[in-house]
Amino acid sequence: MTTSEALPHYVDSNRVEHFVNYELVGKTALRVQRWRDQWKIARRRPRPDSPLNPPLRCVAHMKEIMSRHYLEGRYASGVRKVAWVTSGAPTEPLQALGYFLVYPENHAALCGVRRQAQSIAEEAEHAGWSRDICSYARTDIGAMISGKTPAGRLPRPDMLVCCTNICQTVLHWYRVLADYFGCPLVLIDTPFLYQEAHDHEVAYVKRQIEDMICVAEEIAGKPLDERRFHDVMANARRGAELWLEVLNRSQHRPAPMTAFDGFIHMGPIVDMRGEAVTVAYYERMIAELDERIERGIGAIKEERYRVLWDNLPIWFKIGEFSKWLGERGVNVVASTYTYAWGELAPMIDPEHPLDSMARVYLHPILNRSSGHKLDSMKKMVEEFELDGVILHSDRSCKPYSLGQIDQRDRLVKKLGVPALLLEADHNDPRDYSDEQGSNRLEAFVEMMEAQA
Amino acid sequence: MPIHYPRAMLRAHRLHPIEIWGPPYVARHEGSRHFQAYTCDIVVKATSFLRSGGLDVARAIFVPHTCDALQGMASVLGDFLRPDQRVLTLYLPRGRRASDRDFLRRELERLARSLVELSGHQPSSEDWDEAFQAEDAADSALADLYRRRARLAVSDRDFYTVVRSREYLTAEQFCEQAALLPEGDAPRRGVGLMISGIVAEPLELFDQIEDMGAHVAGDDLACGFRRVYSPSSENDPFERAANRLLTSPPDPTCGTPIQARVDTLQTRMRAVGARGLLIYDPKFCEPELFDVPLLRKHLGEAGFPVLHVEFEMGETLPYQTLSRIEAFVETLS
Repeated sequence: MTTSEALPHYVDSNRVEHFVNYELVGKTALRVQRWRDQWKIARRRPRPDSPLNPPLRCVAHMKEIMSRHYLEGRYASGVRKVAWVTSGAPTEPLQALGYFLVYPENHAALCGVRRQAQSIAEEAEHAGWSRDICSYARTDIGAMISGKTPAGRLPRPDMLVCCTNICQTVLHWYRVLADYFGCPLVLIDTPFLYQEAHDHEVAYVKRQIEDMICVAEEIAGKPLDERRFHDVMANARRGAELWLEVLNRSQHRPAPMTAFDGFIHMGPIVDMRGEAVTVAYYERMIAELDERIERGIGAIKEERYRVLWDNLPIWFKIGEFSKWLGERGVNVVASTYTYAWGELAPMIDPEHPLDSMARVYLHPILNRSSGHKLDSMKKMVEEFELDGVILHSDRSCKPYSLGQIDQRDRLVKKLGVPALLLEADHNDPRDYSDEQGSNRLEAFVEMMEAQA
Repeated sequence: MPIHYPRAMLRAHRLHPIEIWGPPYVARHEGSRHFQAYTCDIVVKATSFLRSGGLDVARAIFVPHTCDALQGMASVLGDFLRPDQRVLTLYLPRGRRASDRDFLRRELERLARSLVELSGHQPSSEDWDEAFQAEDAADSALADLYRRRARLAVSDRDFYTVVRSREYLTAEQFCEQAALLPEGDAPRRGVGLMISGIVAEPLELFDQIEDMGAHVAGDDLACGFRRVYSPSSENDPFERAANRLLTSPPDPTCGTPIQARVDTLQTRMRAVGARGLLIYDPKFCEPELFDVPLLRKHLGEAGFPVLHVEFEMGETLPYQTLSRIEAFVETLS
């Protein structure tokens, strides 16, 4: 008999389950798990056969925060309103209204890291979705129709918020979700910026955010609390600033963390930006990075080459790539992808929340031209003193990938930086060839050696 | 470039559009130097065509924001390839709300400023009136062709040759062509199909379908019925142009909800006597691919079987594609 079955009918079983399984037992168990992880990490000594130094201690906290988030999700239905949102959606008003937020992209990445993405995506493929659509979408649609997920269970959405500032794919994907769940789909359509943003584009996004707030208030059954909204915006700004600081710590030699660490540690800024726990977490992380910098501890033992990663990570290869490259003295110290959640921090203005949100959510790197992305890469090459660039040609992410052939060409010919176009997919292992990938990476390292 | 754009606005600025949907006969290799193998043929082949001088006659390349692939193409053209022609863009909103309408109006005003620079011509109110009148007449002629389809004594291939001549003829020339199609006993036989997708290439497909004992009773093609716009009559030219674009039939690239697509397709299939839906997509077309399983499910429940085939643009049809369509037709017979 479950907890809810044992209750009298007048007791809200959802709330009881949420309290018992999440607040009481779950949180405590995760805290104990974190202590155990911290104890293990503290006892860990550098392994002589590993090219990597021990991981950051704060990873135990990050694991606790993210696990807690997913655990709460299991029991959120009926207790909090639930919104499924794209990673670039303007979520601050929803947070202020008390919504529990699910990021399907993050969930799909979790499936990728746990190497379950392919089998879950195949559920979608068996139901008719083509292998040529985004593997994040296939993973999440597969999870939706089969219930398979490493997260235990995802709460059913009360609303869907889709913002096109990362791609048009999300619009098509969320239309499928809306058809399946039969709940309202709010679209925040962000015109692609081939050049600088025009006033009418900013006004358009602002108006849609205002409309989204109206829908969210109606579903939540309460108005937006302006003070709470201000606090969320202030946390969002502080969290993004700190995240940017975290990433910029890798400008030091040796870099105290790799971009692969960044892919893992970006969880809180993606899923929980606007929350105090995110601010506290990145403060803790910066303190640890500074300690490493002071002691001259790099993420890899012998940092000979410093490299930029462009595009999404290959989630199912993060560990292997980190080790493989580390063995060759290559530290991937920066990535355009992780920067996207920090570089717009100065634009966030809690005193003018809607105007600033409209600007912020128009300007992610994915909503800007190929030329702008090349300029960003050039800037990072200088600021991080990079020796090379790996451009992940991601079969699943066309807006990020189209343009990379010319970007690579210019990096090599105009900037004299070795650059590699690596064909793969962010979540589908069937679209990455180990042998071909290793050969190309070997050749890339040789190019850097030749230039050194 | 496809799909939706303000034709009357171009005409008012004394510009004539010629649409590029591939072209199918152009090889991919020149475009492949700039776009990955997983990029759709329309983008890659159009880039090949441009790089080989095929568009030298044009003064501008206009890329409406239709999908991520065309977005990438416009960006690469503007930032890296920098052709002699000016690259013009237009963001088409994916909703049909008041905010979308207002935005599109302002976006068209922005586009108009570029068109004035390009053409050196600032349209007068007479120019606008004349342009809307001519293009509305062509839009009506297209809508009328679809209404009269069952009474036209022409093959599917001939019908679509005329429909697609809108891609390069002037409004007047198109109206003339449409009026020339003779009414009488249509040479139709066998099973009626509805065809859906971006573009049905090569036109030989229609001959092959007829040879299989079927005919195309109606379409949901981006190059066809999805551009049967409703006439609008606002005084302000930008509002009028915006309204025209926002009243196109259901279209996944415009963000139409799936249920609305299903409802419209069902109604139209019943009206034209189509027994099944053939979804005929170019490879890597995400806007189309996402809807396929749900169209299959919902239309299947309504008694309309669905076949989905993907094709690579070329001058010939692969045998495998044809045999799948043939098997589908047999199941409907």
